[in-house]
Amino acid sequence: MDNISNQHIQNSKIQILLIFILTVSTFLLAIFALGMGSSTNLDFLTTLKIVLSLEEATTLQSDIIWKLRFPRILMAIVGGIALATAGALMQGCLGNPLVSPLTLGVASGAALGAALAIVIGFSISGELAYLFSFFGLFPGILYWPPIEFILFYSDSLAIIVNAFLFSLIVVAIIIQLGNLRSVSAESYILVGIAITFIAGAIVSTMQYFATDAQLSQLAHWSFGSLSRPTLWDAVLIMIIVIILMPFALIRAWDLNTLSLGGDDFAISTGVDPKVTRKKILIFSALMTSIVIAFTGLIGFLGLAAPHMSRLIVGNDYRKLIPCSAVFGALLMLLADTLGRTLFAPIIIPVGIMLSILGGPFFMYLLLRNRSGF
Amino acid sequence: MSPPRKLREVIEIEDLNFSWKNNHVLEDVNISIPNNQLIAILGINGAGKSTLLKCINKILKPDSGNIKLQSNDISDLNLVELAKRISYVPQSVLTSFSMEVFDVVLLGRRPHISWRISNEDRDKVSKTLKFLNLEDFAFRRFNQLSGGERQRVIIAKAIAQDPNLFLMDEPTSDLDLKNQIEVMTCIKKLVSKKEGTKSALIAIHDINTAARFADRILLLHDKKIVADGTPEDVLTEENIANVFGVTSEIIPKSKSNPLRVIIKDKTNEYKENTEEE
Repeated sequence: MDNISNQHIQNSKIQILLIFILTVSTFLLAIFALGMGSSTNLDFLTTLKIVLSLEEATTLQSDIIWKLRFPRILMAIVGGIALATAGALMQGCLGNPLVSPLTLGVASGAALGAALAIVIGFSISGELAYLFSFFGLFPGILYWPPIEFILFYSDSLAIIVNAFLFSLIVVAIIIQLGNLRSVSAESYILVGIAITFIAGAIVSTMQYFATDAQLSQLAHWSFGSLSRPTLWDAVLIMIIVIILMPFALIRAWDLNTLSLGGDDFAISTGVDPKVTRKKILIFSALMTSIVIAFTGLIGFLGLAAPHMSRLIVGNDYRKLIPCSAVFGALLMLLADTLGRTLFAPIIIPVGIMLSILGGPFFMYLLLRNRSGF
Repeated sequence: MSPPRKLREVIEIEDLNFSWKNNHVLEDVNISIPNNQLIAILGINGAGKSTLLKCINKILKPDSGNIKLQSNDISDLNLVELAKRISYVPQSVLTSFSMEVFDVVLLGRRPHISWRISNEDRDKVSKTLKFLNLEDFAFRRFNQLSGGERQRVIIAKAIAQDPNLFLMDEPTSDLDLKNQIEVMTCIKKLVSKKEGTKSALIAIHDINTAARFADRILLLHDKKIVADGTPEDVLTEENIANVFGVTSEIIPKSKSNPLRVIIKDKTNEYKENTEEE
């Protein structure tokens, strides 16, 4: 091999090492975050020993770490991975650096679903359940305890299911759009913006007629917070992320060609842009909607984490996808830990912390690196 | 003994028709491209040169007609199979994201690899960069390069793809004179290899570049191929007047110089005509 090939291998190794360092940093921050909180603080070493079962924890310590903080931290990590990966995928397949999971209307769909559940008590799952029970369809399944609990009794689950289903409606619109013959990358973005406006207008109308309590609940949902999801929610999202991630990774070469040179360039390297775009948008919309249904709106991460990762590993999606995922987890965890500890006992929602701290840092990075993405 | 004719053809286009809604762009186009030929397509803006290249590369779907690539109908080939045999250089590549030049050229290997890059792929990219004198640019960002440099990188990507047929749409339009000659010489070298099975179909505006490098020229006018042959056969004063609407003087090929076309100033000719009257 000659010098140029060797240099390329060397550069790749350095980039992989940087991703590894980011991964280790995320792990260390997670241990630190397990010890830090608004009430009880444990030092890093004690937390590490408890996590590795090298030290016997008191019942209080064990409860705080495993029951209180661990679900939140796991959610921060898997949520960060999902949102940042979705952002990177969307930017790549649409060849546009301004795209984020919010741009395509997926988040607006979720917000609309949540608002409908909170303000007028409408939930698709509930309506379907009553409809089915009215006509006597699937009676056995409907009254199976977990399904019965989701459909009939839990308000907060109704919000989650509604937010998710309304996101899926947006995904369905996106898929239908992809089936049109002349659809371009810009069409997706424009339709996403249109959906955002329409959903925003309906949510505003509902806010206008909502009671104070409903307004408060809606505002709280839209902040984007990690205090709502339970351990099992986080585990569910983790399973979905683990299933979807390989599908994203095997499309890395296709994303490289699509993000660099557009449709004609992609076809000339053997990539079908329409099919690839549609599949990637479905993966990323699913990843986004499952997270924000549980956490509420967290927009900034999907935009910023991929760009920050590009500054480290460039635009090669074989490395950009893992790097964005790890960066997303790190940023989400950092923002949540700061949100929990900076003004303790007041907890600032992670969505707000991410925008306040990440925004200026993101601008600084982009201005420092003027050559673009 | 010469091989059978069918196998020598890289691509055969029969009765190709293409239209944008009711606007016919190509009508009954027939072209046969054998191995080891550099073929230039000349024609005015909007004559359908780019459309023809895009139909061959399945970017556009023709209304009717057959395109056979090494005896296989291209409609039976998937895009990856097609990309292994045809590489396409678009007029320009505008990008919002950037990659290192090495990685851009590496995209040419995409049809040949599944996920992992082999040392052989890296070496192919490295050789191509050297072939086009781009080794100093290998680790520079693509979007920091000038238009001409980018064009050369995209040509390098097409070469790294190792196809049988190069389709190039105005590949030299952004290049200065020296680079135009260098790039065309490289392409000529690639298709002229005796043991090779490569050809190039290049849409081009500069008649003299076509005359200098092309083995064969196609004149595309009024939706059809109106002339097809060697530069000496096709570049006549009459053909140039018919297709481009300008008068010209042809300086025949000599030992030291290729055939040259001098376009006469139409305004002067108009003056001469009015003076005579």
